[in-house]
Amino acid sequence: MSVMGIVCAAGVAALACGAVLGLTGRWWRLALAVQAAGMAAVGAAGAAVLFGARAIGQGFRNGFSPALGVDRLSGFFLMVLALIAVPALMYARDALRDAPRAGVTCMLSGAFCLALVGLVAARDVTTFLGFWELMTLLPATVILVVRSDEHARKDVFAYLAITHLGGIGVWASMLVLADHGALGGMPLHGAGLRALVAVAAIIGFGTKAGAMPLHSWLPRAHPLAPAHVSALMSGVMIKLALYGLVRVLFEWDAPAPLWVGLALLGVGALSAVGGVLYALFQHDLKRLLAFHSIENVGIIILGLGASLVFASLGQPQWSAIAFAAALLHTLNHAVFKALLFLAAGSFASVVGSLELDRLGGLLRRMPWTGGAFALGAMAIAGLPPLNGFASEWMTLQALLHVAVRGSFGVSLAGAIATAALAATAALAVFCFVKVIGLVLLGAPRRAQCAAAQETPVGMRGPLVFLAGLCVLLGVAPGLLVPTLARLGPGSARLAVRPGVYLPGTGGLPTLALALGLVIVVGGLWGGARSRRAAPTPAWACGQLVEPGLRWTSSGFTKPVRLILESVLRPTRELTVRTQGGVVQEVLYDAAVPHLFDTLIYEPVTAAALRGAAVIRRLQSGSLRTYLIYLLGLLVLLLALVRVGVLT
Amino acid sequence: MIGAKVIAGVVQVLGGVGLSPLIPGLVQHFKARLQGRPGPSPLQPYRELRRLWRKSAVSPYPRTPIYELAPPIVAGSLLLALLLVPVAGRSPGWPVGHDALVLVGLFALGRFAITLAAWDTGGGFGLMGASRDLTLAVSVEAVLLLVLLVVALPSGSTDLLALSASAARARVWGEPAHWAAALAFALVILAETGRQPVDNPDTHLELTMIHEGPLLEYAGRELAYLHWSAAARHWIMLVLATELFVPQPAPFAARLAVLAVSLPVWCVLLALVETTQAKMRVLRVPMFLGAGGAVCLLGLASWFAGGGS
Repeated sequence: MSVMGIVCAAGVAALACGAVLGLTGRWWRLALAVQAAGMAAVGAAGAAVLFGARAIGQGFRNGFSPALGVDRLSGFFLMVLALIAVPALMYARDALRDAPRAGVTCMLSGAFCLALVGLVAARDVTTFLGFWELMTLLPATVILVVRSDEHARKDVFAYLAITHLGGIGVWASMLVLADHGALGGMPLHGAGLRALVAVAAIIGFGTKAGAMPLHSWLPRAHPLAPAHVSALMSGVMIKLALYGLVRVLFEWDAPAPLWVGLALLGVGALSAVGGVLYALFQHDLKRLLAFHSIENVGIIILGLGASLVFASLGQPQWSAIAFAAALLHTLNHAVFKALLFLAAGSFASVVGSLELDRLGGLLRRMPWTGGAFALGAMAIAGLPPLNGFASEWMTLQALLHVAVRGSFGVSLAGAIATAALAATAALAVFCFVKVIGLVLLGAPRRAQCAAAQETPVGMRGPLVFLAGLCVLLGVAPGLLVPTLARLGPGSARLAVRPGVYLPGTGGLPTLALALGLVIVVGGLWGGARSRRAAPTPAWACGQLVEPGLRWTSSGFTKPVRLILESVLRPTRELTVRTQGGVVQEVLYDAAVPHLFDTLIYEPVTAAALRGAAVIRRLQSGSLRTYLIYLLGLLVLLLALVRVGVLT
Repeated sequence: MIGAKVIAGVVQVLGGVGLSPLIPGLVQHFKARLQGRPGPSPLQPYRELRRLWRKSAVSPYPRTPIYELAPPIVAGSLLLALLLVPVAGRSPGWPVGHDALVLVGLFALGRFAITLAAWDTGGGFGLMGASRDLTLAVSVEAVLLLVLLVVALPSGSTDLLALSASAARARVWGEPAHWAAALAFALVILAETGRQPVDNPDTHLELTMIHEGPLLEYAGRELAYLHWSAAARHWIMLVLATELFVPQPAPFAARLAVLAVSLPVWCVLLALVETTQAKMRVLRVPMFLGAGGAVCLLGLASWFAGGGS
């Protein structure tokens, strides 16, 4: 066994020990630290494999005997997992201090991390599917341990139901692939079979990744979990679904035909635009962040789709670049989404509810948490010089070059995807201006916000670490991109430099841009600083700014709601109660319903329940009926044998 | 060759910093003449900048450092943007590169900073403008990307130097796609520079402000930065219009002359549009820009119908 193999095995052992230690209930803080150390070892081994060390363990094989191993793609995902899990677990050490049943939560967090590691390291179909199910079930268990109200149980049920129905696609595609020996390297034959595998994989893994229109579980389940589990779910779990999709479409079922790439472009564009659009109209911070996960999964899928399209167009260089863009965004989104979820957890622990319209002014009260949150929000909005910009720039370049280099139909798809991603980026800026404004800036809207205290170092440290990663990955993404480009189809020769220099672009010198911005902004700031006069209140036509007249989340996003009224179909209800000709009370109620729920999921659920009611009539409970069923079955079988269908 | 690059660099920096206030000044001047008024001198923006530079600022409360950082971020992102845009097809090779999509990102950074400042003071008018600005930015960015895409068709690159080189050849004017992109880019200029019919830069009525709204609280040097930034945004968009959409001879001196002539011409055209067009309803602007996007897609189709040479 290689050195890295030993490190990896030791990490897994520490993770398991940490999980068991958590069960004791008394040493759960130590247990979390042990788990974090184990995750760090696993991540280090993964990163070593990614950057050129020999693969650990076995390769992929068919059959049912369990096998484990880490190759370069798995190494990348282990690295992403560790970069999120270590700060998340360390954060939980202080965040769970007053939480009920901290020991059980701690044990389940360790088990969840183990399942995630196991899924990435699985090298045969049984292990893969086993860890896949664990990965789905464990977060549900965590949620049910900490929350037992009716509402939470209902949402967890929806999560399990939707992911399991979608999960049929995963099982189908994986079993077909294993049955045909495709895991072991045999090519899959037959266009029909390959199309079946591709569609099943897109549905199955897409559901778990939260791609629209199969996403409905995600905004329900993610906000319920404790902050560190939300970070793991949004940062890593949904990415591992994309890992499965990459394995199927880029490795076992490769080379995928053009239509698969175009289908991914469609799914990605829908998820990106739809996710960010619904995020705009959310009033709860964690639910809003969950919708942004859908958006970012969409952006990653756009990159993957572009890579497949380029591969089938015979453009290996751009295929590799688009693939690297998707993986880089996977890492970036994991980092800033974990940061945002953990910071949201800190806010919730200090001020209680996360209703956007009832926060405000937290940057002054909590400078570390607030500052890290602002940085993460800037990164997710795709602004230079942070990491979100680098990967979105690469994805945008890939889509634009799909349009420039494709034939007419492909080009049109690329152009629409480019415009969709550009609109997504602008909407994300809109959304996070709103979030920062409502949460961090302005006057506090509640007594708890005015009295908020900064969280302990144990909760601040992980946030600062993740914020530092956002800056680092934004300043020097080019050190990682050539390695990522080698993981995918095709090949691209890219220089290892801090910036990203792609053919057919003017280059993205991230380091120079970041330094330039810091120097220029610093100089201008110094130039304007000297002259400052007495403070005055903000201008409101000579009146004072009254608390009741403050801007709200829905007020700020109203122009978008009005412009897209025919698409979003917002509901509004105005009730005016008058008495003797004098208005006593005005009630205003407005909402943007989630149309995927009201137009797709609810009718389907209702139809399924109706169907179940019809089928239930078969179960009369009378013995004679069942005897008739048996007789009928016997006659049918005899008839089939007679005809010759069954021999 | 090196001389040309140095001159281009000087024009980029000195022109962008020093001459850009002349552009809104010229537009106001021409507009007044078209309306039969004597109007202010084209140098009026300089006088205002000088006045603002000497005045002290007011600081509204409550606020955070974000309010103070916003004007430097807006001005700083535009300063870097100035370095990205080549002049007369040349650029001295600044370390910030010359990619068109980076330019879009820098514009977004400035917009982000100024709209956050509006949240920081919490003033109603600032937020109204910020909300509208961000709404319009969605369609502006989408259409701008489509324009860049269509312009990038002949050269296959988003490098502004390559785009400028390919657009300078008269051959691209045989392509309907280029005409379509030029039309859409004209709409983007109107929206990005905050001109009528999208926004009215002369308005003093807070309720109708879009780009001016978040500036209401600022004074002194901070306001000077923001006014200069608005002028620099004019400069960048109009220089890009010349670089990407005017067929011109290849020699550097000739291209520089074309730039010097075309900038006042664009100012006259802007003044003409401002004089003849009324401001449209804010909610109709996305339709207006969407027409530009549709034209771009038609241009794309025509490119392939023509063989996609």
